[in-house]
Amino acid sequence: MTYKNFGSRTSGASSWLWQRITGLVLVVVMVGHYFLMHYTPDSGHTYEAVLNRMQNPFWKVFDLTFVVFGLYHGLQGVWNIIHDFTMSNTGRIVAMILLLIIGVGFGVLGFITILKF
Amino acid sequence: MLQPDTHDTGSRYPWYHTLLGYHKFSGSWAWIIHRLTGIGLITYIVVHIYTLSSLQKGKETFDIEMRLFTSPFFLFLEWALGAFILYHALNGIRIVLIDLGSRSKYHKALYYIAWTVGIILLVIMAILIFGPHIDRQ
Repeated sequence: MTYKNFGSRTSGASSWLWQRITGLVLVVVMVGHYFLMHYTPDSGHTYEAVLNRMQNPFWKVFDLTFVVFGLYHGLQGVWNIIHDFTMSNTGRIVAMILLLIIGVGFGVLGFITILKF
Repeated sequence: MLQPDTHDTGSRYPWYHTLLGYHKFSGSWAWIIHRLTGIGLITYIVVHIYTLSSLQKGKETFDIEMRLFTSPFFLFLEWALGAFILYHALNGIRIVLIDLGSRSKYHKALYYIAWTVGIILLVIMAILIFGPHIDRQ
């Protein structure tokens, strides 16, 4: 039993709570998104359909919420999985930096795509 | 200073024997499938953001790619993605319900309800996605 990496500075309570909150919001947003894409055979699948949808600022906010909450919930989940394995301190820091790069990178990509319309 | 103790306890069985020897309860299946669908979904969302962004550079390329992504094989993949989403979302709601009121004694009942609702919604989704394409012959 190594005594080196026991314990954690925080209790993890806020990330636990935010997983639940983002999860519940994502259920609602996901149902909306899926029905939007499949309610008619080619709704949402062409350039014009996306363009027309993006004129309405409500759908822009909808999609931006989706990007932020989805990336947070997913990457926090991956972090939970990583936490199940014992890891040295440097390993943990490297994993956290990789997750942050992926999260911020794809979040910015999503924002630019949506706001460019 | 304490010396880190690194020798393992030495199990009599190899690792796969131990893994396959776990008793399979519905709750453990729920947990592992929730985790696997989660991994699938986070890879999907990253790929999704990437494909949608690299195609907002022109209407023609976007429409050509969308014709690929609405071909029957990709519609089937989209339906399979819907199955992943349904499982993860319904099990997630079940987790929140159990956590909110210490309802652990209902965990199995809630799991069966989640499966029933999920299969019903999956069938509805198949009708919505593949229905318009059936009378093309």
